[in-house]
Amino acid sequence: MNVETPVFTTPDEQVAWLGTDPIPAKAYYDPEWFELERQAIFMRSWIEVGHACELPEPGTWIRRELEFADASILIVRGKDDRIRAFYNACTHRGTQLVEEESGKGANFLCPYHFWNFGDDGRLVAAPDFKRFAPLTKEECSIPKVAVDTCAGLIFVNLDPEPKHTLREYLGEYADRLETLPVAKATTFHEYVYEIDANWKITYDNFQENYHLRHVHGLTGVATVHQQNQYGYPDKYTFNGPHRTQQIWVNPEPLIKPMQGYNLGLVANDCAQQGIMGSPDSRTYFALFPSLFIIGTPMQHFSHKVYPISATKSRGVFRIYWVDDDDSATRRYAREYALCSLRDIHTEDVNIINRAQKGLLSGAIKKIHFMTMEGLCRHLYQQVVARVEDYLEEREAAGETA
Amino acid sequence: MSKMLPDGFEALEYFVERWAVDGTANRDRRRGDSTENERVAFFEAAKGLIPQALELLDRKPLDEFNEREQRLMNMVLSFAHVAMAVEMLGDAEPRHARFREVMRITRSPADA
Repeated sequence: MNVETPVFTTPDEQVAWLGTDPIPAKAYYDPEWFELERQAIFMRSWIEVGHACELPEPGTWIRRELEFADASILIVRGKDDRIRAFYNACTHRGTQLVEEESGKGANFLCPYHFWNFGDDGRLVAAPDFKRFAPLTKEECSIPKVAVDTCAGLIFVNLDPEPKHTLREYLGEYADRLETLPVAKATTFHEYVYEIDANWKITYDNFQENYHLRHVHGLTGVATVHQQNQYGYPDKYTFNGPHRTQQIWVNPEPLIKPMQGYNLGLVANDCAQQGIMGSPDSRTYFALFPSLFIIGTPMQHFSHKVYPISATKSRGVFRIYWVDDDDSATRRYAREYALCSLRDIHTEDVNIINRAQKGLLSGAIKKIHFMTMEGLCRHLYQQVVARVEDYLEEREAAGETA
Repeated sequence: MSKMLPDGFEALEYFVERWAVDGTANRDRRRGDSTENERVAFFEAAKGLIPQALELLDRKPLDEFNEREQRLMNMVLSFAHVAMAVEMLGDAEPRHARFREVMRITRSPADA
């Protein structure tokens, strides 16, 4: 008996409101435009930098480098269990306090003149401090950075007075994120890359499926079907500057024998953990400005794109897991999941490089997004809106752009 | 020559030196350094034994393996990498390996 597969309908109508205008190519390589993005967006948005499982107990800390701000940030779980963030810089003469990526300890000792700071950034002790009079220790706390968590993910905001709380910023997606496995994650795989490409070119690659069948012809063959030859999503949603796509389920995926066996082990494990089948298990969240997280428990990855310059960025992929490896089968299944995802993402990095190179001459004045690249268009429009707001604010304040 | 693996896995003894690799990033590098013949030979020899190996290894906590069991565990984990190369990429693996070097593995639960 032939079982009819459901008819797939491309959700063009859901992105029609975004329009069809060409996009100025300069926004994807121009240093002056990048500087506006940096000031208008990255220096005052909530930026994801890690996960609470990296701070498992009081006294643990992590260091994060944010190139777009030339900033090194320490994120600390204090003795009171609160997570705080402050700059990795001594208030004496600015020396970086730590070089390690993570650690544990109640204090941060500057190696230069042994100023000693507590886990809340306050100056606790400094040799021969009386000779700094009238300076007081209270005046020497390290500048704080706004920090908060959602679904276990740690976000910082470099604006000294953020306009929105993290919850306000994420809007209705915040509660949905809290239902994802990442909220309960205890460990993760991580792989990183640096790329000679603008952050939007890099990010856009991961929010359209038009390229899947061309770039991932071997690794992503399970995503295409005669009903949906490009593996397009079946739904889009928008929430302020953020957006989602709902991953289409291929009714007849082409799966290789060991691929099926291995992914079956992951699925069984997730099912036993009770993390399969959540309402957002097919949702791919694109959180402004440059974070992705996918709800799929079996390949539950996040991807952050950090800008470095107009034509350089850094990406961090993580595959989050609930509970540590406790058996050979779980360890094997998870290692395969890593290999499987990383192989696909590797193919993306190569094509992104080429996408940037082609724009650098300036010969291409405009680029074009079709309807199923609507999320890329939405990102560009959100970027422009924030840059315009920023310029208006500066003008109102009497500053020149 | 003394046995390097638990009983029942004699068919994989030949592959121990090449594929019993500790560390996820090291296993990835070994995949990248290997020849197609090496990958295919290991894949064909091991694919039918993976369920049996996992069944054996699941009997013990991960931190209580003896040396033979740990070698088998590391080979099983290498198989996860090799399976992607042989089964999914085939002839495209050498080109793919060049791109993969950019994507550095920086953390793995298997290395904890």
